[in-house]
Amino acid sequence: MREKPAIIGIGRTKFGEHYELDPEDLIDEAGLMALDSAGMERKDLDACYISDYLLQVTNKIGLEEGFISQLLERNIPIERMRSFSSALLNACNAIESGRYDAVLVGGMEKMTDRWSKIRDNLMLLEDHWAYYAGGTPETNHELLLREYMKSYGIRGENQEKLMMTLAQISVKNHRNAVKNEYAHFQREIDVKRVLAARAEEKRVLGLYDFAPISDGATALILASPKRAKEYTDSPVYVLATTLATDYISYSSRPYRAGFIASKISMENALKIAGITLDDIKILEVYDQSTVFEMISLEDLGFIEKGKSWMKLHKNFEDFKGFYHLDGKEVYVNTDGGLKADGNPLGATGGAQVFEVVKQLKGEAGQRQIKPDGGLLFGCVQEIEGFGTKVYVNILGGEKCGK
Amino acid sequence: MGSEPIERRVSYVGDRLKGSRCPFCGKEYFRVRKYCGNCGRKSLGKMEDIDYFYEKGVLETCTVVKEPTNRFTRLGSYIYGIVSFHNGKVRIPGRLTDIILRNDESINLEDFEGREVVPRFRRRYSVEKSDIIPTISLAFTLADEYYPYQEYKIIGPSKEYEAPGIVGYGVYVSRFRIKEGGIERSVPFIDEDAITASVESGKLALIHSGVDHRLVDKIYVGSESNPYAVNPIASKVAQVLKLGEEEKAEGVQGVDAVDTEFACKAATSMFKDAMALVCYPKNPMKYVMVIGADNAQAAPRGEPGGELDFFVGFGGAAFIFGKEDVIAEAEGWYSCTSDTPDFWRRDLEPYPQHGGRFTGEPAYFKHIIKAGRKLMERMNLKPSDIDYFVCHQPNTACPARAAAILGFKPEQYAPGLYASKFGNTYSGSSPIGLAAILDQAEPHKRVMIVSYGSGAGSDAYLFITTSQIKDKRSRQKFTVRYQAENKFLQYVDYATYRKFKEGL
Repeated sequence: MREKPAIIGIGRTKFGEHYELDPEDLIDEAGLMALDSAGMERKDLDACYISDYLLQVTNKIGLEEGFISQLLERNIPIERMRSFSSALLNACNAIESGRYDAVLVGGMEKMTDRWSKIRDNLMLLEDHWAYYAGGTPETNHELLLREYMKSYGIRGENQEKLMMTLAQISVKNHRNAVKNEYAHFQREIDVKRVLAARAEEKRVLGLYDFAPISDGATALILASPKRAKEYTDSPVYVLATTLATDYISYSSRPYRAGFIASKISMENALKIAGITLDDIKILEVYDQSTVFEMISLEDLGFIEKGKSWMKLHKNFEDFKGFYHLDGKEVYVNTDGGLKADGNPLGATGGAQVFEVVKQLKGEAGQRQIKPDGGLLFGCVQEIEGFGTKVYVNILGGEKCGK
Repeated sequence: MGSEPIERRVSYVGDRLKGSRCPFCGKEYFRVRKYCGNCGRKSLGKMEDIDYFYEKGVLETCTVVKEPTNRFTRLGSYIYGIVSFHNGKVRIPGRLTDIILRNDESINLEDFEGREVVPRFRRRYSVEKSDIIPTISLAFTLADEYYPYQEYKIIGPSKEYEAPGIVGYGVYVSRFRIKEGGIERSVPFIDEDAITASVESGKLALIHSGVDHRLVDKIYVGSESNPYAVNPIASKVAQVLKLGEEEKAEGVQGVDAVDTEFACKAATSMFKDAMALVCYPKNPMKYVMVIGADNAQAAPRGEPGGELDFFVGFGGAAFIFGKEDVIAEAEGWYSCTSDTPDFWRRDLEPYPQHGGRFTGEPAYFKHIIKAGRKLMERMNLKPSDIDYFVCHQPNTACPARAAAILGFKPEQYAPGLYASKFGNTYSGSSPIGLAAILDQAEPHKRVMIVSYGSGAGSDAYLFITTSQIKDKRSRQKFTVRYQAENKFLQYVDYATYRKFKEGL
């Protein structure tokens, strides 16, 4: 097996509304932070992999590669992907193949510049026939929940418990974000507020069930193990980065009570990393909605299918900051998740990786977790589209690098 | 601006809900596919064409959209979900249409999930006024409410007639009404217009007649509310209903399609042309379809031409003419025309103007009475020889008076009088009246129709019903009376009526 690439530096901006900044200002800030934390100069980079979902729509800019080239004042290879995990996967492939030794992986998004106009584009990206039929980014989440409840016969009182659990997921993520100085929302909310939003909007899921849209950028420096040694004694290795795909049209998928791509991606990632689920104590899931956090825990294998609402409901009776799942502790979305940390599409995955790296290195400050038996491995799930692409990244510290 | 090639491709599949089925494993797809994912190479080029246009599906799961994407905002709140066909062989996204949801309304989704739905051809979403109007059939209505599921079964002709006549017909009036001044008028839902009403009535005519859509050689659509100044409704009808022989490779239909316009007689004028074509020597056409449909236009009250706003309706009627399995043979016709500008709309003007009292005696009555009398004279008939009479219905009083002047009694003209139920449906007006009569007439009854179109002229026709009229009656549940007196009708206020008429 080839040697695993190492993350030797990482950076991010605060997520939120950055009306005064251009997207290149954001990526500049995140990139410099990543380079600084690695102690690396721009001239030492061999290549860049960057990501953004909608900049060409929201900011009407041309080739992003050119902006990065101009910022770096370099003429190195630069490629643009849609999601941070996609950029990371491609960077890993390049380093593992021996092509490059030091790569900047970055993501940026500027959603607030044109939010009302891009909902149509977002929906077109998810599934054009669903868009033509009148679907919205939110309705798919609600249909997923309906499919889930129907598949597992969750009715009446159980349905109410499930809806309460979803509300508590939102509350938990907001609480986690209070300690995250980069978070979009650094404030607590209570269950009453989540329920009131649903009732007021007369919808299945309300404002507090969904992640916001944010501006922001994230970046990391990825290096070959040999090069990494020149810069740091404590690199975090990317032990696995996997991708699985599914049909663009949610309605035509054979399995609709979750995302089959999550399951496949996770199984492959565990195999490649050579670890088991029990080894993972910190997990960043792509909670674009509270439904995603609940169902992802099943799709990724942490909870049996159809049981997560019940398990989590029990957990929230006496919540201590982590989910107690079959005797093991799993910390989920310690940075507040997409719900509270924010969701600048192309940069989001970078923030998830940022959190796991910081936690693994013991640099998470107030948020630092200290699970029994130590913290060796972390896992990030990033979703593109509506379960159309699911990436799983497994990260591990020095002791598990090889 | 929208992309026209994309519009063409989305419409080509979406208007008709086209799909493919694997002949080996039976797997179905919503979209035209060249091969089956299960069976691979052996299925290449062997996939069967299917579509879900005449099918019913099941709304499996749904939710309420309160904040639609930008192009859907004029629809307000609506129910959206996943519809399955053929016991789950295919699942497609869909929106429930023809339902008005108040913003503060709580919906119990379980009341909708699991129910049968039928696809409806509608406008897709709002676009700029200068853009191509996007359409789609991913709009559905509940099969156990206003619009019933009806099977389209092609039935081979069994009898040829000497004279041409009506082989089948369909009437489409929307579910919504406005009730004012003692009359009800039909109101389109916000995603309906003259194009959707034309397709809908044509579909119902095919269902009623049992005619093979491939044998319809010409389609006329008469309307004065085509949302386009240039671009026919008839081509949309031809493509969606697959009229004429389909040339699959090019995606064209072997049919002649054309729109006509002459105020409210745009459709009736073509009845004789249709019947002439099916009798054309050496190269007769098999069937010809004529549709009259309007989202009848009127300026808002208080503006010039706003008086019409008290009378306008929405709806369409389609008639299929031929020589086989005729339900009403044509006996004769007569038309008259004069240059009488009593009602008009200049190019680029949104609403028509009219000549006030000038639209009465010297226009409406003069032409209808002339055409009616002349045809009876020519055929040597008295009003008592005619069982049913119907004429253009701009309101309830005028047609009754015209009928009385011609010598008809209420029992002869009342069965075809629907102005108090639907309002003035312009090009659809007298054709809908004729359909209402055919809905109930016994065999061997004589029916006279006299249309009127401002500008001005009238077409008079005499038909005699045949014994086959009763055979076909069971194929059409969606009769004129069913649509006029339906427990699922929804009544709207004036503001909603104007908004709906304005459309997406």
